[in-house]
Amino acid sequence: MKTPVPAPPVRVAGATNVGKVRTTNEDSMIVDAQRGLFVVLDGMGGANAGDIASQMARDVIAEFIMHRRSTMPPRALLDGAIQAATQAVFSASQAHRERHGMGTTCVACMILDATHMLIAHVGDSRAYLLRGGRLQTLTRDHTIVEELVDRGLLSPDEADRHPYKNVLSRNLGARPETRVDMVELELKPGDRLLLCSDGLYGYASAEAMQYLLGSGDAPDHVARDLIELALRGGGGDNVTAIVLEASQPAPSGTQLVRTNGAIAWWQRRQRFLHVAKERGLPKNPMVRGLEPNEALELVALNLCQAIFHDLEKSTGVNVWTFAQTLAGGWFERGGDWAALRGMMDILGEATRIVVDEIRTLDAQLGFLLDIAVSRALVVAELALGGLLAERLRQVDGELIQLHTAAQETIDVESLDDTGDRFIERPTIRFLRAERVVTAAGVSDEVGGAIEKTLTIARARTSPRAELVKRVLSSLEAIATDGSSNFSTAVIAARDLYGVRTVDDAGVMPLFDALDQARILTAAAVHQIQVAEPIRAKALRAISNAHQRLVSATTGLVLEAAAPYTDRLREAQQVTSDMRDKVAAAEKRRAELERRFATNVDASQPWGSRGNTEW
Amino acid sequence: MASTSPPLAAGYEAIRPKILQRLLELRTTLDPSLGRLDDATARAQIGAVLDHIGNFIATGDLGLHRAFLHTFLAMRAAEAQSPASVLAMLVAIGDTAAQVAQEEAGSSEARSELTLLLTRVTASTARAVNDLIADELARRMGQWNELAKKEREGKKR
Repeated sequence: MKTPVPAPPVRVAGATNVGKVRTTNEDSMIVDAQRGLFVVLDGMGGANAGDIASQMARDVIAEFIMHRRSTMPPRALLDGAIQAATQAVFSASQAHRERHGMGTTCVACMILDATHMLIAHVGDSRAYLLRGGRLQTLTRDHTIVEELVDRGLLSPDEADRHPYKNVLSRNLGARPETRVDMVELELKPGDRLLLCSDGLYGYASAEAMQYLLGSGDAPDHVARDLIELALRGGGGDNVTAIVLEASQPAPSGTQLVRTNGAIAWWQRRQRFLHVAKERGLPKNPMVRGLEPNEALELVALNLCQAIFHDLEKSTGVNVWTFAQTLAGGWFERGGDWAALRGMMDILGEATRIVVDEIRTLDAQLGFLLDIAVSRALVVAELALGGLLAERLRQVDGELIQLHTAAQETIDVESLDDTGDRFIERPTIRFLRAERVVTAAGVSDEVGGAIEKTLTIARARTSPRAELVKRVLSSLEAIATDGSSNFSTAVIAARDLYGVRTVDDAGVMPLFDALDQARILTAAAVHQIQVAEPIRAKALRAISNAHQRLVSATTGLVLEAAAPYTDRLREAQQVTSDMRDKVAAAEKRRAELERRFATNVDASQPWGSRGNTEW
Repeated sequence: MASTSPPLAAGYEAIRPKILQRLLELRTTLDPSLGRLDDATARAQIGAVLDHIGNFIATGDLGLHRAFLHTFLAMRAAEAQSPASVLAMLVAIGDTAAQVAQEEAGSSEARSELTLLLTRVTASTARAVNDLIADELARRMGQWNELAKKEREGKKR
């Protein structure tokens, strides 16, 4: 059987780089889309012998396959090519003393037909497959350590730490012949194959490689990005990567959208503008002062173009840029969210109407477009979200500054003595004001940190969460109180209890608010800009304050519930008596059943003992 | 979003474990916020979102959807995650769910419909999250104006 000429070319690209440490590139590669042959070789050996070995092997493999392809079956062809290269490198190393010991790794891929390829490898250059978003290794390194693991002499953990983990057990050139591992692979639409030297996977994480391979970018971009990734990871070795994308037997959904979908969308741009106009785009405050046609061109046509280009290239960058420009400009002019939301809704609605119309004409294309356009709307929302979050961060910072300034103007003389009077009232023991707690007063610096923390926490509180806001204010008062006793907590608890008395909803909202305040402050304390020791002290003070407030509140609730405890005890007694009576009745019933069952006539049709169906 | 037909809700429930599994496997590459979490926390957070998506598909209740997102944002804010990263995380979860639906859901028609539905749910989630962030921003702007006014008055005195 001869090896056929490869069917439809895969999309493929290769890139190589000397790295940041080496002075010569000892890696070589073959990227021959016409013959369907792709090879990465990583040379080794001193005195520039590494690059000679890899280049020699490269040339021999390419020539062997070119001349024998029509006469040999695929496995024998690829194996023969690698053996010929091994022989050539070995002979050269024997012939020149300074090249003694040179060799090279090899990972090769030969396309068999539209859906099959053959992978061969010797050494530690690797082949990876990206399928369904997941990256898997197709080859197993031929290193001494790996072989010891295979034989059960080393554990995988020990192998990772082994000093000889990079020493190869096989290569091209150490002997006149070598053993080649081969695997045949059935390709699926969307599969991506990566061939690379250890200069890539040794300096880049598998996750990052998976991310780049799955990015959807063209193979030449991906190959370039992978090299860049290895360089950023240190670039301690020569690095080579070949990326192949499997040819697809039928146009995929993505291809349909890129071609027919993009065209169908663009052909309906006037309809899109018309619908946007009907839905009131020219009346939106964002385009106030513009003529209706100007407004439509500026906003709707721009979005239409952005979607068209994104459909064509399967990206979201144009819609992202459109949304960011539109919203960024509007916010800079002091515009409000409602107008922007209104504008986005009009555009979203117009988009859906146009896509629905395409769907009635061509169900499959319309469906694919529907998904693509929904994605575009998500991308637009992501861009808006980024802007909103950034604005929120800025306002937070300004709020902290303003709040700090405002606190300085508070007139401390205006505080009344209500709290003191309350504390003098007799109450249950552990609530009494004289109960000393261990926390000392706080320094000005810590006090400032507490204020900032509470300001951020307040800013993060929902507008309707009045109770949480009050809890936060109480926490601030308790945490910054220098008197080191329980009085501030008792006053605060009483105030809170006044807001939320025992009503139909019970006291749980109060305890929920206490808990929410704890979560908010714990998060906020990490957002203030202070030295770590100050942050720790502030956190401790707030935490102590929270404990005191919860204790005081619990005490108040217990105090309020005290009159009901006797009635509760009575109710428990009644329940207990009833339970005893029920138990006695059960016992009597069991006794009666037992006595009746012993008198049953076994000859009667109702059958066996204990059967109650009669 | 109107309530959807039971087969789609059932179809989603059938692939939910696979979506969770995929998200746990790929979380480091999907989204930095998810990547930083330990396994148990990631499982809990992603699981909560997937549960909610199931409820939303079954009921189509936008009020509940918004309420869930409000709570989710508040909880993530308490863990010092920015709203933008929460939004990106929710979108990444939605995208992965749609991708798994495209690969795994039963018949070809069910696959298509569920994929589209999940993509629309993601769009609706992103919209609702932005509305919530905008509400919060408006509230803080209000506080800012109030404090700025007080400061001006203080200076006058």
